[in-house]
Amino acid sequence: MNETKYRYRAVFSKNGDMRFIGHLDLQQLLERALRRSGLPLRYSQGFSPKVRLNLASALPLGFTSSAEMMDFWLEQPMEPSLIQQQLNSALPTGIRILSVTEVSNDFPSLQASLKAAEYKVSFKAGVDVSAVCANLEELLNEPNLIVTRRNKQFDLKPLVEALQWEEDKLYLRLSNRPEASARPDELLALLGLAPEQYDIQRIGLYYS
Amino acid sequence: MQTQLESLLYRVEKPGRYVGGEYNQVVKPWESVETHVALVFPDIYDIGQSNLGLAILYDILNRQPDILAERAYAPWIDMETQLREHNLPLFSLESKMPLSEFDILGITLPYEQIYTNVINILDLAGIPLFSNQRTKTDPLILAGGQASYNPEPMADFIDAFAIGEGEEVILEITHAYQAWKRSGAAREDLLTTLAEVPGVYVPSLYTVSYNPDGTIQAVTPQNEQVSFPVVKRIMPKLPPPITQFIVPNVQTVHDRLSVEIMRGCTRGCRFCHAGMVNRPVRERSVEEIITAIDDGLAATGYDEVGILSLSSSDYTQILPLTEEIYHKFRDSHVRVSLPSLRIASFSVDLMDELKELSPAGGFTIAPEAATERLRAVINKPLDENVLLETARTIFEHGWLNLKMYFMIGLPTETMEDVQAILDLGSKVHKIGRSIAGNRVNIHLGISTFIPKAHTPFQWYPMDTPENIQSKLDLLKRGAHQAHLKMTYNLPEASLVESWLSRGDRRLGAVILQAWQNGAKFDAWSEHLNLQAWQDAFSRVELDPDFYTLRQRSLDETLPWDHISTGVSKHFLLTDLCLSQAERTREDCRNSCYNCGILDCFESTRPTQDDVYWGCP
Repeated sequence: MNETKYRYRAVFSKNGDMRFIGHLDLQQLLERALRRSGLPLRYSQGFSPKVRLNLASALPLGFTSSAEMMDFWLEQPMEPSLIQQQLNSALPTGIRILSVTEVSNDFPSLQASLKAAEYKVSFKAGVDVSAVCANLEELLNEPNLIVTRRNKQFDLKPLVEALQWEEDKLYLRLSNRPEASARPDELLALLGLAPEQYDIQRIGLYYS
Repeated sequence: MQTQLESLLYRVEKPGRYVGGEYNQVVKPWESVETHVALVFPDIYDIGQSNLGLAILYDILNRQPDILAERAYAPWIDMETQLREHNLPLFSLESKMPLSEFDILGITLPYEQIYTNVINILDLAGIPLFSNQRTKTDPLILAGGQASYNPEPMADFIDAFAIGEGEEVILEITHAYQAWKRSGAAREDLLTTLAEVPGVYVPSLYTVSYNPDGTIQAVTPQNEQVSFPVVKRIMPKLPPPITQFIVPNVQTVHDRLSVEIMRGCTRGCRFCHAGMVNRPVRERSVEEIITAIDDGLAATGYDEVGILSLSSSDYTQILPLTEEIYHKFRDSHVRVSLPSLRIASFSVDLMDELKELSPAGGFTIAPEAATERLRAVINKPLDENVLLETARTIFEHGWLNLKMYFMIGLPTETMEDVQAILDLGSKVHKIGRSIAGNRVNIHLGISTFIPKAHTPFQWYPMDTPENIQSKLDLLKRGAHQAHLKMTYNLPEASLVESWLSRGDRRLGAVILQAWQNGAKFDAWSEHLNLQAWQDAFSRVELDPDFYTLRQRSLDETLPWDHISTGVSKHFLLTDLCLSQAERTREDCRNSCYNCGILDCFESTRPTQDDVYWGCP
């Protein structure tokens, strides 16, 4: 069955003020950009058809990213670089398509195959980065790091897959699976840091 | 500013409201233009972003190479707290510039319950609240919109009002401002120059005197250059609809492509402010509308179109238009909604097409009154059998949700008229159930009648709060028993609206005091603070009932008499007499009743055949 037609995967960045646009609003924004682009879009079936569009992972409000991913479907095959060009001309400042590739419909969905995400944390002026570094090391020596999200408690520690400092930037690789995902701001909150004291950029999504 | 602002955005809900950056936003380098205009909607972004009037002005102003227009909205409570805590002024979305840095603030006043927000916005911007406190370095505070047909309650705070349609006058005002600024003249000169622009009302150039009983003795212009009355502006031929709409990044109300198909209404419903003040009827051509839909969809990426007018089925080309829309969009993924249909047989012809174009939509009808007598009083004649037949057709075409709008508190209304709302709702419900069973929902939308300025009912008092309450009680009980859904506006909200829409210049002190007492977001039922208003009235020693519960004498000078909508007071009076005789006047597109519009505007009427005016 050729129900799903031609599947494309775009990597895009989300920068500047666009970091204050939440996940559902981003979904809407991308749908509208796809319609503006004039690409031969594939719509979902049913009572109220929607542009077929899948986002890999919700980016928390306030984070920037150079590594967001979405899948979308077209009725006709097209040259990926042309798709990229057409989409970029239809996007508001702050969202940029970095690459487009065709992917097989046999691949699992982005959400299902996502395993981890990598973040870069830059600290704002006034934050004592060396103290943060020391505190973080101490913190990670704890057996558990219990945090609460939506009234549920869970252990953050096993979700921290890798951690590295480069100059005064912190690179974090955290689990990002449907059943277990960690947020870097949750870790930073354990150190007493508030969102206005740092910038977080998602720089990689890892999937199987 | 930008960095400070950023840190606040982490502490407020929906920060996307404050950052701009939407597709089709226009940003010009600040220093590259001579004149900076901030267009202000005095409620939050979510409510104001889709406002068509401001979108039109934004488009017109930004087409001028020497002018930029940016947007500003009221911050929500959490953001206001942050701004005040950090001593940051209210800013524009595009350049994040403080509002006080702009040359002109163009504030829209689409309804009255937004007035305290205007005061709050001026305060947050650090701009002197009173017109007479502002100096040469402060922005010009300009207002317009549907509520400014009675500008008096806001007269102390607004430097100049643009009465009527803004498309032309906005540039005339801006150009007058530019000439004044280049000349380096005093601020008073700006105001007198503006007062010479047709349609501009500068309240400080008029003196109001009062009789001992509190009614107005006279409104006197200070010199002969000042127009009296101030006649509204209209566009004799509607310009092509705008299509480059800003596409919001966060969810807003009316988040769809809006295409206005006509302005004005010839029906002459006597309660209807919009129907009286927006005359004459002017239509756009089908071709122009279709082009605007095509271009608008391409420019915005919307998949929903809202067709705007006061009464869509009165659009003379409604059938060709819906045919065209239907054929164009039935196989696309675009939904089209066509509100404001009147009940008439040809509406029924449209139903299949409408149903297919907007499958999830409900159907709304607005009889406004439930007895034939009362409908004659308000001049919205409608045979009940026609209404019931229409309801039948609506259900037969597959709609399950029918909303019916009624007003309570109408002149001459009795409890029998109110009971008739329930009876009519039940009859319609019964018809619906006989066709589609228990899935049918009938929803009664009840609003309280407010006698509005510039209508034939402007002399009437409002119904008393006690009467309104007992009418609402009757309806609530009855609707519950009859399994009808019912929503209604809060009587308190209607009170605030009535004071502000019927008030005179002395209301300025009440508005200021109410704001100082904590009133803001009065249009939000959860924020409405009636006590703040009542305390304000007693503090400034004005009687609120003077404005709402008093039958005004027919020879009284009304606070808005020096503002002309083109419709004569004589016409309104005649219509009032006909109402009292329970006599209707049919649609005036067939026979002219000499309302005054043609006396006012006939010389500007386009002669081309393709420009339709509703006047015979």
